Amino acid sequence: MLRIHIIGMGIVTALGSGLRSNRDALLENRSGIRPLTLFPTVSHHPLPVGEINLPGGADNFPRTHRLALLAAEQAMANVKAAPDAVIMGVTTGGLSSTEALLRKQISDPGMYRCHATGSVAEEIARVYDCHGPVLTVSTACSSGAAALKLAQEMLRSGKAQRVLAGGADALCRLTYHGFNALQLIDPDGARPLDADRRGMSVGEGAALLLLAANEPDRALAEILGAGLSCDAYHPAAPHPEGEGARAAMQAALNDAGLTPADIDYINLHGTGTRDNDMAEARALTTLFGNEMPLLSSIKGASGHSLAAAGAIEAVMSAISISEGVIPANTGCRTADPALNLKPILAPVRKPVDVVLSNSFGFGGNNASLILGSPGRRQVRKTKAGTRTLCVMGHACVTGAGRTRATMAAIASGKACAGVLASGEIAARLSPAQVRRLKRFPRLALALAMDAYESAGDGKPPEAVFMGTGWGALSETSDFLERLFETGEQFPSPTDFVGSVHNAAAGQIAMQFKARGANLTMTGGDYSFEQAVAAAELMAGECRDGIVVVGADEHHERLSPLFDGSVARTRACPADGGGALYLDNSERASAPRIQSLFFESCRKDTDVRSVIRSAIDTLPPFEGRYGIILAGLPASCRKKAEHQLQILLEVSGFNGAVVDYRKYTGEFASASAVAVVMAVDLLMKGCIPASFGNGIVEVLGSKGALVVGMGDHMTAIEVMNP
Amino acid sequence: MEKLINELQAKIVDVLNLPDVEPQDIKPEEQLVGGRLGIDSIDVLEMVIMIEKDYGVKIDSRELGVKVFASLKTLAEHIHSNVSGQTN
Repeated sequence: MLRIHIIGMGIVTALGSGLRSNRDALLENRSGIRPLTLFPTVSHHPLPVGEINLPGGADNFPRTHRLALLAAEQAMANVKAAPDAVIMGVTTGGLSSTEALLRKQISDPGMYRCHATGSVAEEIARVYDCHGPVLTVSTACSSGAAALKLAQEMLRSGKAQRVLAGGADALCRLTYHGFNALQLIDPDGARPLDADRRGMSVGEGAALLLLAANEPDRALAEILGAGLSCDAYHPAAPHPEGEGARAAMQAALNDAGLTPADIDYINLHGTGTRDNDMAEARALTTLFGNEMPLLSSIKGASGHSLAAAGAIEAVMSAISISEGVIPANTGCRTADPALNLKPILAPVRKPVDVVLSNSFGFGGNNASLILGSPGRRQVRKTKAGTRTLCVMGHACVTGAGRTRATMAAIASGKACAGVLASGEIAARLSPAQVRRLKRFPRLALALAMDAYESAGDGKPPEAVFMGTGWGALSETSDFLERLFETGEQFPSPTDFVGSVHNAAAGQIAMQFKARGANLTMTGGDYSFEQAVAAAELMAGECRDGIVVVGADEHHERLSPLFDGSVARTRACPADGGGALYLDNSERASAPRIQSLFFESCRKDTDVRSVIRSAIDTLPPFEGRYGIILAGLPASCRKKAEHQLQILLEVSGFNGAVVDYRKYTGEFASASAVAVVMAVDLLMKGCIPASFGNGIVEVLGSKGALVVGMGDHMTAIEVMNP
Repeated sequence: MEKLINELQAKIVDVLNLPDVEPQDIKPEEQLVGGRLGIDSIDVLEMVIMIEKDYGVKIDSRELGVKVFASLKTLAEHIHSNVSGQTN
C-alpha cells in the first residue's frame, strides 16, 4: 500500500521560525499575540494579532511570499531534488502589498506582479525548479489543509513522487478590518473554547511540508488520510450543528481506514468565535460521544493565520507525534460549559500516535487531516484509481451572450469578446439570491446552473471545483475603497465576506446543497486547468455529479493592473467563463474529458525537451484530434506562439488550430470557454468552416485538444466515447 | 420617531439591496431579522455599520444587537435614545 511520508517541514508563525522555536513555544504555553504594529491604523488601540517580526522587504515583494519562502527553505533544507509538484493554500496572496500600492494610486501593472494568490506557489516552484503542476487552493481558512489533501491524492495517483505543499498568508488590511467588521475579533486576544471568548485574533504565517510516496527512511510523520466537505449553508457562518465539520472528520477517518477510537489527540480548528467553537464542539460530540480524545486549539497562541493555518497545524501535529507533546489550549482559562469539551489547559508530555487536525473556512469549506507516527499499522483500503469523467452538461458566458449565442457567434467566425450586461448574466437567478452578489459570483452561479440544466436529468452535483484567475475583484475593490474613504471606520462586512476567492463556489454549493468537496483553484491563465486537475484528483470520492466552473470578471480598475493580458488589450475588455457538469458513471454517449499534462517551462531553450517528454507517453495527436484550441495569452504572446509551434512540430499535428482568445478576448479563465467550445464541437460532430480551411470538416471519431501556452504548458482532451 | 422610522426603512432597503421590498413594507413591529424579509447575520452587521456612520450610534456586541434589531421599532428607539446631541 502506498504511504504518504512527510520528509521535510518548515514553519513560520508568530511563535517563531523553525520547528524548534515553535515546539519550545508550545512547551512553554507561550502566546505570540500582541497589538498590531505592521501597518498604521486610525484607531489608537490596534487589535491583538499574531504578527511575525519580519524586517525589511521591497514594496512589491509581498510578505506572504517572503513567509512562504522562509518555510520552504526549512522544508527543503536537506533535499536537492526538485519536487514534482507544488501545491499551496493561499487566500490573501500579495494583498498586503497591493493595498499599499492602490492607496498610493500606483498605476504601473509591473508593481502588482505578485498580487495573484497563485504567485506564491509560482515563486516557490521557480526557486526549487519544479517543472510539474503548480496549484493553488483558495478556500479561505481551510486552504492549507485542502492543499495537503490534493497533494496526498496526487501522490496516490502516481502522478508525482514528491510534492511540496502547504499554506501561507500574511496580515493585511482587508482581513484585519474585515473580520473586525464582522465583530469576530476578541479585543483581549483569542481565547478559544473559553466561557468568555469573544472571537479570534487574525494571524499570519506559513508552513510547507515535503510529502513523498513511500520514503519511510526519511519520514518525520505520515499523512494517513484527509477529508473535505462543504456546509452548503451560509457564506460566513458555520452550520450550527457542525454538520459539515462532522462530515469532513468522518471523511478523513474513512480515508485513513480508522475509527474515532484510534485518535489520540485533536488539534481543533478552534478560532475562538462563539459560533465556530460551538459548531465544532457539536460535531465532535456527535462523532466521538463519550470517548473524547485529548484536544486543544493553538490559535490562542499563534493567532488564526487563515490559509496557512491548516498547514501550520499539520506541522504542529507532526511535532506532537515526533516529540510526544500535546500543546495547551492557550488563552482558555475556564472552558465554556456549553461546549462540553475539556481542552488541555497546560502542555502535556505524552506519546502521541495519531492526530486529527481540523480546518474550517468561509463558504462552509471544511478540511480534516489525520497524521500518524511513521510506520504504524495502516489498514486503509486502496481505492479505485482515477475515474473517467463524462461531460453531461456544458455552458458558457462571453460578451456575445450565453452558451447558444456564444457558440453561434464562434461558428460564424465572429468574435464574442466583451463584457455581458450584469442583468443578462443574472437573468435566471432570483433577485433575492443575487442581491448581495456582484459580478464574479453571479457569473459563476449562472454558469453552474446552466451547465447542470443542460445535462437534463442528472442528480444535483455533490462537488464543486472552481477556477478563477482573479476572483471577486468588485467586492475586493469596493471593500478597500470604502475602507480608505471612511478613514477605516466603516468597511462593508458584506463585501468582506464576498471578497474571498471561494465565495462564489460557496454560493454554488448552497444552490445545489452540494456537501462534498468544494475547491477553488487560482493560478492566472491556468486556473480552470487547475480546477479540472483538482476534480480528477478528487473524483474517486464523488458519487454524484461534479461541477467544474472557470470564471473571471472584468474590473475596470483592477483587471488591467493585475492581468498583463488585459493591460495589453485595454480597448477591448472581456470576461465570462465556462462550466461543465461531469459525472463518473461512464455513460455511453457523453464526451470524456481528461487533462494530459501541466508543465512549467521557464527557459525557452527547454521547450522542445519539455514538450517531447510530456507527449512521449501519449497516443499520437494526428488521427486522434480533429482540432487544437490554443490559449496564447497576450501577456506572453511571443513565448506562447513559439511553444505552440514546437508542440505542432513535435506532435506532427496537421489539423485545424484555433487561437481561441481571438474569439473570447483576454481573460484568465478563457480556457473554460475553449473547453466548452470543444464539447460543443464534438456534440455537433463537425468543425465550422471559419476554423481554418474554409470548409466544414467532419470530426468523426476524432476529439479536440485544448492547450494552454505561456508560463505553463497544459493540455486537456475532450473525446467522444 | 416616525420620521426616523421612515428614514430607516428607506436606508435598510437601499443598503441591503432588498429586492421587491418597498420601504413601507418593513413594518415597525415586525420581526426584522430571520423573518419574511430574508435579513440575516451579515445584513445585521451591514446595518450596524450604517447606523454608526449615519447616526454615530455604536452597536458593538451581539447581545446588544439581538435586542436592538428585534424590530424596526426597537432599532429606532435605540438610535433615538443614544444619538449624540439628542436632548429629549
